[in-house]
Amino acid sequence: MKADQPRDQTLGWLALNPLTVKKWQRFRSIKRGYYSAIILAVALVASLGAELLVNSRALIVYYEGTVAFPTYGDVIPGRAFGLDYDYETDYRELKRRFAEQDEGDWVLMPPVAYDALENDLRADAYPPYPPSWSSGHYLGTDSTGRDVLARLVYGFRIAFGFAFLLLACNYLLGIALGSAMGFWGGAFDLLFQRVIEVFNMVPLLYVIMIVASIVVPTFWTLVGIMVIFNWTQMTWYMRTSTYREKSREYVLAARALGASNSRMIATHILPNAISVIVTFIPFSIATGIALLTALDYLGFGLPPPTPSWGEMLAEGTSHLESPWIVASVVVGMVLVLLMVNYIGEAVREAFDPKKFTYYE
Amino acid sequence: MASHIQRYCSLPCHDVPRERVWQKARLSASVIALAGCAAFMAACGTETTPPDDEPATSVIELPPIEVREGDGLPQTLPADLVWETNESDPVFASSKARRGGTFRTWMLGFPLTLRRVGPDSNGAFAGYLRYNQLGPVSYHPITRRPIPSLATHWAYGADGRSIYYRLNPRARWSDGVPVTADDFVFALQFMRSKVIVAPWYNNYYTERIRDIKRYDDHTIGVQGADPKPVNEMHAAYGFGPQPRHFHVPTDDWVQRNNWEIEPNTGPYQISEVRKGKHIELTRKADWWGDEIKYNRYRFNPDKVRVRVIRDANIALQHFLKGDLDAFDLVLPQFWHDKVTGPPVDAGYIAKYWFYNDLPVPSAGMFLNTADPILADRQVRLGLAHAMHFDRVIDTVLRGDYERLPTFQLGFGEYDNREIEAREFDLDKAGEYFDAAGFDQRGGDGIRQRDGQRLSLRVTYGNSLHTERLVILKEEAKKAGVSLELQLLDSSGSFKQMQEKKHQIAWMTWASSGLSPRYWEHFHSVNANKTQTNNLANYGDPVMDELILAFRASADLRERVDIAHRLERMVYDAGVVIPTFQVPYTRAGAWRWVKLPQWLGTRTSGSLFNSQALSAGIFSSGGLFWIDADEKERTLRAKDEGRTFKPVTIVNTEYRAR
Repeated sequence: MKADQPRDQTLGWLALNPLTVKKWQRFRSIKRGYYSAIILAVALVASLGAELLVNSRALIVYYEGTVAFPTYGDVIPGRAFGLDYDYETDYRELKRRFAEQDEGDWVLMPPVAYDALENDLRADAYPPYPPSWSSGHYLGTDSTGRDVLARLVYGFRIAFGFAFLLLACNYLLGIALGSAMGFWGGAFDLLFQRVIEVFNMVPLLYVIMIVASIVVPTFWTLVGIMVIFNWTQMTWYMRTSTYREKSREYVLAARALGASNSRMIATHILPNAISVIVTFIPFSIATGIALLTALDYLGFGLPPPTPSWGEMLAEGTSHLESPWIVASVVVGMVLVLLMVNYIGEAVREAFDPKKFTYYE
Repeated sequence: MASHIQRYCSLPCHDVPRERVWQKARLSASVIALAGCAAFMAACGTETTPPDDEPATSVIELPPIEVREGDGLPQTLPADLVWETNESDPVFASSKARRGGTFRTWMLGFPLTLRRVGPDSNGAFAGYLRYNQLGPVSYHPITRRPIPSLATHWAYGADGRSIYYRLNPRARWSDGVPVTADDFVFALQFMRSKVIVAPWYNNYYTERIRDIKRYDDHTIGVQGADPKPVNEMHAAYGFGPQPRHFHVPTDDWVQRNNWEIEPNTGPYQISEVRKGKHIELTRKADWWGDEIKYNRYRFNPDKVRVRVIRDANIALQHFLKGDLDAFDLVLPQFWHDKVTGPPVDAGYIAKYWFYNDLPVPSAGMFLNTADPILADRQVRLGLAHAMHFDRVIDTVLRGDYERLPTFQLGFGEYDNREIEAREFDLDKAGEYFDAAGFDQRGGDGIRQRDGQRLSLRVTYGNSLHTERLVILKEEAKKAGVSLELQLLDSSGSFKQMQEKKHQIAWMTWASSGLSPRYWEHFHSVNANKTQTNNLANYGDPVMDELILAFRASADLRERVDIAHRLERMVYDAGVVIPTFQVPYTRAGAWRWVKLPQWLGTRTSGSLFNSQALSAGIFSSGGLFWIDADEKERTLRAKDEGRTFKPVTIVNTEYRAR
C-alpha cells in the first residue's frame, strides 16, 4: 500500500479527508486489531437479533395449514397449537409432538433452542447439567437449569449496550464541558476543575453499594450513576487539547473573521482535538464491560434474573465442581476484552500524531 | 435465659438451615440494628473513646428495682410453695465419652467485642459467651421438661406469672466466687441500666420482667408480665445472673469491657484471645456443674479452638485437609457435591445426617394486604397455588428440604397437623385469579384486570435464595403471574419490610421457645405500622380476640386449642405462603471425633456444638468427644494410604413428627 496514493483508498462513496484515509489504512494494516473489529462487529450485529438465534420460541410453526412466527410479539398460548394449556407454548415439546404425530405440521427452532431465563429441569438429575449435544445445551446449564450459552449471548448484548450507552453519555458530557473549560478558561475553568476534583473523590463502588441496598438498580439507574461519577475523565483531556488548539492561528483567524464561540469550538477546535478522544473509545468500552461485570459479580449490579456475565462468574466460582459455567464465561470475557483491547491498540497506532501530523 | 431474646426480637434468618438459625438470628440482630433501630444507632453514637488523659469515670449507683402498681412479689417467701426438681429424666450423653483433646472449629469473622450485651455484641461468637452462662434451669432436650442448672429446685407462685428458685450452693463463677441471689438481683438492675447501651434489653427487662426478690442467699423469686403455662415460664422469665463482683457500672462500661473476659458459670471459659486469629476456650477442670446428672459425659474436649476463616469455601478446604475437626453440611451443595471423594470414600471423614424436632423457623412469603392487588383474598390464594415449591425442592434443593405446611411448626402439641400446604395447581390458581377479576391474559401471557398486570414484587435479602426464586418465577408465569425479584442486602430488605413497603416479603423468622407466637405477626395493633413484625399488615377482629386470649391464658389445653384455631385462620386468610423447612442438621467430621450411637437428641440443633444449649433453651450440646488413639490411627493410615469403611449415617428417628 502506497501512502502517496491516498485518494484510491477512500471508502467508495465517502469522500474522506486524506488524513482520515491514512488513519484507516494504518488501522487496516494492523491485522489483529482489524480482524478483531470485524469479528466484534459481526457478533454485535448478530446479538441484536439474538432472539432469532438463541431462543426458546420457535422461528416458524406450521400448524394445520397456517404459519406462525412466534419469535417477536405476543405470547402464543399452548391452546393455539392444540395443546391443553393457556400459558406460553413449549416449542421444543411441540416440535417433538409434531414429529411423533407426523401429520405434516412442523416447527423450526433457532440453533440454540433455549432462552436466558427458562429453567430446563429434569426429573432424573440435579442441575447444573454438563454440556451435551443431545440436549442442546452446548455449554451446559447453570445451577437452576438455565442454558449457559443463552445467558452468555444475552449477557454479551446487555454488557455492550451498557458500555456503549455509558460511553456516549460520558463523552457527550465530558467533551462539552472539557472544551468549554479549555476554551473559556478563567473562573469557569477554575470552578469546574474543583467540581471535577470533588466528583473524582467520591468512591463509585460505595455509592453503588449504598444505592443498591436501598433500591434495586435497573439498567438505567446503573447507567445514570456511572455517568454521574465517570464523565469527569474525558474533561481533562478535552480541556487540555482545547487549551492548546485555541491558541493556534487558525482559531485566531476564525475569531478574526467573526466566528461565534460555538462555531469556533464545534467546527474548528473539536475536529482537531477529537483524535485524542477517539483512541480512548475502545478502552472505555472495555472498562464499561468490566465495571458492569464486577458489579454484577459482587451482587450490586442488574437485578436477578437478568442474564449477566458477572452473575455467571459468581455462580461459576461457587460451583467450581461444574467447571463449564466458569469456563464459558471466563473464555467469553477474555476473548471479548482481548479483542476490544486489540482494536484499541490499533486505533491508537492509527491515530498516532507522530506519523501523520501536518503542522503548518 | 438470654436465649428467649431471639424470637421476641424477631430477627430474620435468611438462611433456612436450622442449626444456623440461632447464630443467624444473632448475626441479623446487629444487621437489623444497623438497618433501622434508631436506639441502637444512638447507642453506637455514644461509643466514643475518651481521651487518654481523662481520669476514670465515676461509678454509677444502680437504682433499686422499681415495681409498678399491681406488680410485685411478696416480701417473705410464701409458705405454700411446692418445690419441684427433676432428677427422673434420662441421661442423653454417651457413657463411652472420653475427656481430652482439642476441638478445632471456625468462625467467619473475629468478634467485635467479648461483652454479652451492648453494641456489636450480637456476632457469631456470642453463642460461645452466652451459652457458657447458665440460667437457673434449662430444658431437657428430649422430654422438653425443666432440668436443674444454677437452681436445684423451683416453685410457681399463685399469681401464675412468678417463679421461685432455690440456687445450687455449690454453683461458682469461673473465678471461684459463689453464685448467689444477689447476682440475680444485680442482673435485673444491670440489664435495666443505661450503662450497657442496649435499649432492647433495657426494654425487655423492664416490660417483660416485673420484679425480682432475694429471700436468702440462695433463694429468689422472679415475676413476669403475663401468666404462662408453668413449663414455659422458665424460658420467658428465668433469666440468668450477672457477676456482681466483676461488673462496675460506669459511663464507659461498654468501652472498658470490650475485651474483658467475664467470669462465667458454664463448662468452658476463654483462655486465649489472639485478635483477628483465634479464640481458645478451656474446659474447667473442677467445674461445679459436673455434679448435675444431666451434664454427665458431656463437654468432653479440654479445649475448643475457634479460628477465624473468612470464607466458607476456604474453611471447607481446611476441613478436608484435617485442620478443622468438623464442618456444617446443611446446604445441599456442601453435602452432595463438596464433601465427597477421597477423604470420605477412605473413611477418614464421616458424614452425619440427623433429623431433629425443633421449632421450625417460619420461612414464608408474607403478602402485604395493604397492597391493592394483595388485599384481595382470591389473589392471595391463587398465588399460593401458583408457587411451585416442589419443583424447587426436587431440583436446586436436591430433595433435602421439605415443604413447610403451616406458618409455625415444631412446638409439639401446639402444631396444627391437619393443615396441608397449598399445592401447585394451575387450575385452582386460575379459578381464584378469575374470581378476582384477573381473567384476561395480556400479550406477554400475564393476567390483567382492567389493564392492571398481575405483577408482584418479591423482596428478599439473600443472594443464595435467587436460584429458588427464579424457578418459582418461571413456573408462576404459567399461571399468568409475573414475579419481579428484588434482591437487596439483608439489612436493606429487612428495612423495607419493617417499613411495610414490600409487596411480597420473602423471609424467615427465627423460632425458639416452647410455644408459637401470633401477636407480633398477626394482631391488628401491629398492622399498617412501621417497625412491627406484622409483615402482612393483617388484622381481623376475631383473630385479635383469640390472640389476646392466647397470650393471657396459662392453661395449656386452652392455649393449644387456640393455637390450632389461629393457625387455621392464618391459613384461611392466605396472608402467608409458608415455604421450606429443613428438618435436620448435617455435618461432616473426621473419624476421631466421636458421637453417641444416637448422634444427638430430639432438639439437637447441631451435632458438634460444644456449648450447653442449642436452639436457645434446650440443653443438648457437648455430646461429642475426641478419641486421641483413633486420631493417631487415622493419621497413620492416611500417611500409609490405608483406608477404612466409609461412614455415612442418616438418623431418621425424629423425622416423623
